[in-house]
Amino acid sequence: MAKVSVLNVAVLENPSPFHSPFRFEISFECSEALAEDLEWKIIYVGSAESEEFDQILDSVLVGPVPAGRHMFIFQADAPNPSLIPETDAVGVTVVLITCTYHGQEFIRVGYYVNNEYPNPELRENPPLKPDFSQLQRNILASNPRVTRFHINWDNNTDSLEAVENQDPALGCGLPLSCAPIKGLGLPGCIPGLLPENSMDCI
Amino acid sequence: MKLLKPTWVNHNGKPIFSVDIHPDGTKFATGGQGQDSGKVVIWNMSPVLQEDDEKDENIPKMLCQMDNHLACVNCVRWSNSGMYLASGGDDKLIMVWKRATYIGPSTVFGSSGKLANVEQWRCVSILRSHSGDVMDVAWSPHDAWLASCSVDNTVVIWNAVKFPEILATLRGHSGLVKGLTWDPVGKYIASQADDRSLKVWRTLDWQLETSITKPFDECGGTTHVLRLSWSPDGHYLVSAHAMNNSGPTAQIIEREGWKTNMDFVGHRKAVTVVKFNPKIFKKKQKNGSSAKPSCPYCCCAVGSKDRSLSVWLTCLKRPLVVIHELFDKSIMDISWTLNGLGILVCSMDGSVAFLDFSQDELGDPLSEEEKSRIHQSTYGKSLAIMTEAQLSTAVIENPEMLKYQRRQQQQQLDHKSASARETSSATSVAGVVNGESLEDIRKNLLKKQVETRTADGRRRITPLCIAQLDTGVNATSTPAASSPSVLTTPSKIEPMKAFDSRFTERSKATPGAPALTSVTPTTVERLKEQNLVKDLRPRDLLESSSDSDEKVPVAKPSSLSKRKLELEVETVEKKKKGRPRKESRLMPVSLSVQSPAALTAEKDTVCLSVPAPALKLPMPGPQRAFTLQVSSDPSMYIEVENEVTAVGGVKLSRLKCNREGKEWETVLTSRILTAAGSCDVVCVACEKRMLSVFSACGRRLLPPILLPSPISTLHCTGSYVMALTAAATLSVWDVHRQVVVVKEESLHSILAGSDMTVSQILLTQHGIPVMNLSDGKAYCFNPSLSTWNLVSDKQDSLAQCADFRSSLPPQDAMLCSGPLAIVQGRASTSGRQAARLFSVPHVVQQETTLAYLENQVAAALTLQSSHEYRHWLLLYARYLVNEGSPEEGAVEGATASHWAESPFSAPLHRVSGAARYPEGQVACLGLPWLQQGQGHTLAADNAEDHLSPRQATEGRGDTGRRWAIPCQHQPSFLGRLLLFPGPVAPSEGGTSASHSSLPPGPLCRAGAGALPCCPGVSEALPGLPSPARSQGGR
Repeated sequence: MAKVSVLNVAVLENPSPFHSPFRFEISFECSEALAEDLEWKIIYVGSAESEEFDQILDSVLVGPVPAGRHMFIFQADAPNPSLIPETDAVGVTVVLITCTYHGQEFIRVGYYVNNEYPNPELRENPPLKPDFSQLQRNILASNPRVTRFHINWDNNTDSLEAVENQDPALGCGLPLSCAPIKGLGLPGCIPGLLPENSMDCI
Repeated sequence: MKLLKPTWVNHNGKPIFSVDIHPDGTKFATGGQGQDSGKVVIWNMSPVLQEDDEKDENIPKMLCQMDNHLACVNCVRWSNSGMYLASGGDDKLIMVWKRATYIGPSTVFGSSGKLANVEQWRCVSILRSHSGDVMDVAWSPHDAWLASCSVDNTVVIWNAVKFPEILATLRGHSGLVKGLTWDPVGKYIASQADDRSLKVWRTLDWQLETSITKPFDECGGTTHVLRLSWSPDGHYLVSAHAMNNSGPTAQIIEREGWKTNMDFVGHRKAVTVVKFNPKIFKKKQKNGSSAKPSCPYCCCAVGSKDRSLSVWLTCLKRPLVVIHELFDKSIMDISWTLNGLGILVCSMDGSVAFLDFSQDELGDPLSEEEKSRIHQSTYGKSLAIMTEAQLSTAVIENPEMLKYQRRQQQQQLDHKSASARETSSATSVAGVVNGESLEDIRKNLLKKQVETRTADGRRRITPLCIAQLDTGVNATSTPAASSPSVLTTPSKIEPMKAFDSRFTERSKATPGAPALTSVTPTTVERLKEQNLVKDLRPRDLLESSSDSDEKVPVAKPSSLSKRKLELEVETVEKKKKGRPRKESRLMPVSLSVQSPAALTAEKDTVCLSVPAPALKLPMPGPQRAFTLQVSSDPSMYIEVENEVTAVGGVKLSRLKCNREGKEWETVLTSRILTAAGSCDVVCVACEKRMLSVFSACGRRLLPPILLPSPISTLHCTGSYVMALTAAATLSVWDVHRQVVVVKEESLHSILAGSDMTVSQILLTQHGIPVMNLSDGKAYCFNPSLSTWNLVSDKQDSLAQCADFRSSLPPQDAMLCSGPLAIVQGRASTSGRQAARLFSVPHVVQQETTLAYLENQVAAALTLQSSHEYRHWLLLYARYLVNEGSPEEGAVEGATASHWAESPFSAPLHRVSGAARYPEGQVACLGLPWLQQGQGHTLAADNAEDHLSPRQATEGRGDTGRRWAIPCQHQPSFLGRLLLFPGPVAPSEGGTSASHSSLPPGPLCRAGAGALPCCPGVSEALPGLPSPARSQGGR
């Protein structure tokens, strides 16, 4: 079983202008002291079409982690607009928070993000070239998609093999690059097809 | 009978494979398939029992759900104490869950249902061994063992006191093992498998007792589970799926000779589960009818693939009730309530049914006392059949039992406080850390959060600890670590005292708090009550029996009621003698003194007119027979049978010792009270204060030793024998060398003045006795100084504040075992947390850590535990190196005087190494009993890798070994360091004033050039890592 389980991720300062940093307050519980640090990453999916446009906004080490409940705030700069395809700048995309231990990802929390112009005029007639300074980012905080992966928590390659040998389910624990929206567990539900109302409830 | 199907108990339509009701009857667990994982759910029982509660929306129905199993859960079982829940599933794992009391309701993050977990159950152990799906798990009576069975054809026995230790793997089945049941007496465990056999295994040596195949010959097809069950009186074992004349049955197997003459017939398809009612019943007495006692009987529920359930009484030929079509699919599991009047049944169709019987239907349940009386009369006495009620008054035969008893009491306390706590709002507890609400913390989190850069420039955040976990797995050994809440742990630290009284109250009653200092008013009251009852009842009986009290236990050892009488008489008698009342009343353990044995034993003391000692330790009473496991590897156990044969009117007692199958036996003329053994010696203490010692092969080593007063506890380690008498004197002998190590040393000095008891006794392999006291302190007796030395204190605030985590070699952390570790328990993490939470200034923490580490080094030295000494010394050295500031600077000249004060200089004279600071001061360390080689590798292997050129002075000893000494710059470190690999050439030459206060002798000397050789630092230590800790390559 996972030594670390994420208890909550609170999205702070939401909604906020496109250029303001992402800020997540993450609380997690650790069942026994970890020998190494956890590595957390925020990945911004620039385009649903391709992984090419993924931006790792920041990665941070968290440690030392003794047994207990802990929290920290993970802050990362806004994505670089120049790396986002113009057609994907406005609309729904995804931000991912992942955590790895020993280089193995064990949890992936995905949030839908809606980038839109708060100004109704701009919303009606969006400029051809997206105006990022006018965009507002709205994270669908109430509906995180959490995917947990089974990893080997012991710093021991032998035991990893053992686990792999006896656990055929492990292989499918790491399908990290399938589906248009990775890891959200909704392969068929690309942003464009999202029902309208799912964003309304923000 | 009432029948209810609570529809709200479901796994969203997925099958439920297992159900188990908590021993306290307030909740139950189900296990089965979840969304894409296994699922364990804990439910509230009251909405099942009461309609009003079911309708009341404020009463939660689901208490907690755990999705941690990776695949379907096949079995959930509560431990008998109710503390733990074990679950086993298709992911080959067994998880052991414990309730976390420190925090209130929460949700499972990311779960769609937004279901709040009212209770928090955390996985405290994951047991991995099986290579296939785990089908069934079972706790042994009194939770000493946990058994699991799997489709890998094996049964694994886990040490439930020390997960994840495996005690045995039972191999023998040639098919999937699908059911397990423990004999209520604890002598056997039975398993049923698809290989058409039912096997019974002995718990003594984990070997096969018998394999029963005949009733299963015709069994074809498979059932998902084969949950068999043992009757509560131990007489019958009932199998799942068996066949008789092509009809499916549940086979009844008699304990006597494993006969298979009877079965439960009637189900149309295979029987999947059999579950005995935990109670034994007797016919309901009708008013006016004669009080002729009827034979007690058992009650058994049988569930089948044919979707029907039958309930049988062993006194009836036909089932009491049969319920057809209870479910849409096969019945998978059955659980009785502890009062024996209700059952929960679960099915593959994903639903659960509850049956409620009345006492008229089932009969009068026997009390636990009556039940254990049946056990005792049938099977004799052993730890395994002790009931909890009995335990508090049971005679303590060995420290194991003492420990066990204490644990039980602790748990009761814990339960009490837990239930009391429940009424107070759990959320407010969770929401406050160090007087600060969670909200406040959250507001300031970003500011407070410590962010650093690693060597490779990456951001590193130190997370803020908001709550500590109670890792109370080894609750016996680490009370300090197992405090369930961060709020309670650092009770010594000032801010806490000003805190809400509710919390302080709570901290007292948690398992973490040392037992007897924290006797709460309720316990005292409880104990008083018990005594009161005892005091009152026997008054009128006193006159008639007190004159014959000595003969009775001999004449009628098996007469239980008589014994009971004795027991009571004894209490009153004691009172008459005016013994210090407080002493024995407040100690929970001391209740055990009131036994017939104590009576006779006490007569001894009285006859000799020994003045009644102020201290009185519990004494073991004679039993008909008992067994004692000496060691498991090699397997060695002692069996004692008292009064087996009578020769010319004299009754003899037999002592049998079995060592890896080889057996020897001997007879003694008086009854054996207690026994102990090691791989070298076996010793037994008999009545009349006799102590006999035998070699491991059965040769009598000495004529019986006459003890000064009756025995309380006997212990053997190697060739050392330790006897603790009831008058609280301690002796240790080395029977091979025939010398006394400790001579009748009184425990008065460590026990005096308060209501303390000895909670654990340890004899190290060097013959050093260690007493763990109920107040959390541990003392060892130092034979050379004839002093009791404090080696451990659970409330030591140093230990709580010390933080040397950074210096712990990761792989080493768990490896250090020895007497000190046993006494102190696993290194607690609480202190580090406390220090962090209460933001102790760094300097203070350094000082406390240093003091703590020095204490540890000294304690390990006194205990002569070389491994631990090495471990702590290394830690100490590492800590100094890690904490020392790397800035350039001169070592202050105060070294020598500091050094003289340091704990090492005085008692240690044989110096095996020495070191020199750059300016010429010398530090040294004696390793009086470590072998030279050990002392060397210590530094050579492990310390160097943390030393940097800037920090270290180093050189090469005349043996060619490299040594290195970090030089410390902060005055507080001066003179503390002490590492030295190679023997320094003893130099009789020039000494300097700076170390004149060092012990004389073959020491070392200061001054450059005095040491054998001193090459340039950078030359000799080219490849040392920088002092900044490497971040593992990230």
